[in-house]
Amino acid sequence: MPPQIIRLVLLTIGIVCVYFTARFFLVPPSFGQYGHYRANALQDIASRQPFWAGKASCLECHPDHAQKLAKGEHKTLSCETCHGPGRAHVANPAEKLPKLNISMCVRCHQISPSRPKWLHQINIHNHYTGSVCTECHVPHQPNEVP
Amino acid sequence: MSDNINRRSVLKNLAGVVGGLLAMPAARTCKAAVQNVFAVSPAPKGYDPFKHKWLMALDVDKCIGCGLCVEACCEENDVPEGHFRTWIERYVITKPKAGSGETRGETFVDSPDGGKEGFPELQIPKEDILKSFFVPKMCNLCEKSPCTQVCPVGATFDSPDGAVLIDKDYCIGCGFCVQACPYGCRFFNPVTRTADKCTLCYHRITRGLKPACVEICPSQARIFGDLKNPVPDDPLQKFISTNKVEALKQYLGTRPRIYYAGLDEEVR
Repeated sequence: MPPQIIRLVLLTIGIVCVYFTARFFLVPPSFGQYGHYRANALQDIASRQPFWAGKASCLECHPDHAQKLAKGEHKTLSCETCHGPGRAHVANPAEKLPKLNISMCVRCHQISPSRPKWLHQINIHNHYTGSVCTECHVPHQPNEVP
Repeated sequence: MSDNINRRSVLKNLAGVVGGLLAMPAARTCKAAVQNVFAVSPAPKGYDPFKHKWLMALDVDKCIGCGLCVEACCEENDVPEGHFRTWIERYVITKPKAGSGETRGETFVDSPDGGKEGFPELQIPKEDILKSFFVPKMCNLCEKSPCTQVCPVGATFDSPDGAVLIDKDYCIGCGFCVQACPYGCRFFNPVTRTADKCTLCYHRITRGLKPACVEICPSQARIFGDLKNPVPDDPLQKFISTNKVEALKQYLGTRPRIYYAGLDEEVR
């Protein structure tokens, strides 16, 4: 075989070797296990800590509220929808959740032509202005009168 | 010297080198397996992505536009200010001009701050409105996701359990995927310097919790479920069987998996 061909063959083999060596060290472990991505990424993404505690963890200590809530129109609501994030309170029950004000009610119940018709809507500008919602409504049982 | 180099010793050394190279992948696999056993990862244990197929459905008729889902998502996932993994759009369609012979007038769409703080009062007088409604938007979990196809490094992918995820350690922040998504569901995160998008709250669903937006939505406009493990009286199955469902921009062939009920033709 002519020497120039041998040199070319050796060069090609060298390049292929460098490619496979580099690939061996650069491709992260678990890449390609499930597809063209790092399979460990699934675990990395899942290892983030949840922020919202979830209704189930509230009901562990407050089952009475669940019974109350289940009777009324607010049965679809999660506790944290109105009361705000409860993770700190779950970890340490002494840490109280903030008191709620009228803005939480208005946020959903203020009248708007864009809101669906099934939703009970009021206009805060003329619906018993000056009173607090809870004077006439029970948030956990909206069908009841206090 | 010439005594030491002979055919036998050269062949022996070559065989050693080849054997070593062949043994390295096996050694690496063993090392990774051992590391997996002893590594302390905060990821939930015992979750098999092949045993689940998650799906969300959105009910337009139930969305009241309170914006609590957007707020919940931003807090859950540390979404930077001004960016959204999910957002709410308000559609206002006006009445047609008298005698114009049209079915509808103009369409106005707004989403101030993604609907995070709710929506301001409408400036269009009520008499002029033909109809108005809110539409929650998020990643459409496409089966043929264009965003994952354009990634040059394999940093974004369709996970086996139905979420479309981003490997933030591997993303080079080129932004191809942000442009590729026809639904505008991806953004460039200025804090992590990577692409960012809805993960279906992967860290929550792997722990048996609902995604933050589903948990917080007061009107059950967002329905979430596992197609492989339907629970008794499954809300997702019920939603699909009781509603006429459709998906956004089906003509693009991306096969979006997110189902909508009550869509208007103006919604894109």
